[in-house]
Amino acid sequence: MKKYIPSLLLLFFAAFSLATAQSDNISPQRKQAIDSLALEKVRDLSKYISIIGNKQTQFSEATRVMDRAEELFAPDAEMGVSSLSSNEVAYYKVRRYFERLMALNYDQVTISWYDIHYISDLERQPDGRYVGVVTIYQRFEGTSVESGLNYRDTTKKDITIYVEKKQTQVAGRTIEFWDVMLGDIRVTETSA
Amino acid sequence: MRKSIQLVIILNILFIQFVPGQGLYSPGQPEDDGRFAASTKQVNQFFRRFNGEESQDGKQRYYSGDKEYRDRALRRQFIGILFDNETSSTPKSLKNEFLNTVNAENYPQYLNFHGGDWFAEVHSIFTFQGKREPVVLFMKLQPEGLGFEWVIDRISFDPFKQAFNKPEGDVKKFLHPLSHELGFMNLRRALEENKKPESYTPSDFKPDYLTLFLYEIKKGNIRFETVTDVKFHFFQIKDWYFELSQFNRPGFNTGWLISNLVKLGESDKEVILKYIYDQD
Repeated sequence: MKKYIPSLLLLFFAAFSLATAQSDNISPQRKQAIDSLALEKVRDLSKYISIIGNKQTQFSEATRVMDRAEELFAPDAEMGVSSLSSNEVAYYKVRRYFERLMALNYDQVTISWYDIHYISDLERQPDGRYVGVVTIYQRFEGTSVESGLNYRDTTKKDITIYVEKKQTQVAGRTIEFWDVMLGDIRVTETSA
Repeated sequence: MRKSIQLVIILNILFIQFVPGQGLYSPGQPEDDGRFAASTKQVNQFFRRFNGEESQDGKQRYYSGDKEYRDRALRRQFIGILFDNETSSTPKSLKNEFLNTVNAENYPQYLNFHGGDWFAEVHSIFTFQGKREPVVLFMKLQPEGLGFEWVIDRISFDPFKQAFNKPEGDVKKFLHPLSHELGFMNLRRALEENKKPESYTPSDFKPDYLTLFLYEIKKGNIRFETVTDVKFHFFQIKDWYFELSQFNRPGFNTGWLISNLVKLGESDKEVILKYIYDQD
């Protein structure tokens, strides 16, 4: 949470300076700030996935990172995975997805991220929260020394973000800010 | 001290707000060769491109009041790349006519996410009576509470369709017009011996498959397995219909693209809807 404080403050400032009467609307400026916070969380998730998938990562460290990664997500978030060979979506709880990633039978795993992302508009859902989707692309490379197998794929990850106005107490004052949580992720293998 | 903390916070804020790219990236990471940038990555991006509401690289969102917002030249370029040019057989002349219609100087037409007249076709697999069965869900967006939600508007499910096959003409059984005089005692024979009880329904009877479907789910007789494909149908552009599908393939013509385009004549919309819903 601490590391997001500057961003949260930014969102607070944006909220303070740009909207009072229509406080639940999201202006383009505030949207830009929310995008930044969302991307920070996506970047953290990317980092965690790379650590979890890395064969050099100790089990205890991977477990700790999985805990941290889970904290980025709203409860009950799932990963929906499909491949080029099957259009059917396989569903995994986020934790289970990380565990499967950790258990992959490669001697070396490299996970990297393409230099491109796309962020949707934010849409309001019935409960008043906003929802958006961040799209990123991941390259996975796994090498198995014993079998000599190399596996490589590129996946598109469409990541749900939930944006919610929250309140906190700072020095006895109530401050409103916008927070971002990650939600379901659709993972699609691409032909790239 | 307090002042310096404030300064750091403000600098942090400025840094986060004005530095583009916001950093998934670091040296040595794979670079997009343009294919991902060209791909229409989300349905949302299809809307933005169609309307001319973002920059060509997709990094900047244009809003009402921006100089480039819905710029005609930008739209012309965007809409040109929003068609599936590899597998669909839409004639170039029809695409051009569509482009000139939606991008007309005097009466441009735009897509509106909340504007209705578009819906999703979701191909899915459910388990029914121990078998995996394909089910098509037709979903629409509706206002609800403080925002919007997708709802299941109707379904297409073969076992249900086959279960309701009302006979016509001479082969159709009926309850004769004086049945009431006998207190409808012939209902027993009608409903127990005839395998097609729908014979005794009004001429305009249409089974409500969605209600049946939900009932079976509630009873635990139908269970969701997975989604296999999604496409969208748009009737928002006056006198035009188009279908939006996702293309996951090598190259630059990928993502969410128009896979079918039809100029609508009188009553064509009903014919197309009937075909899409596949209910009869």
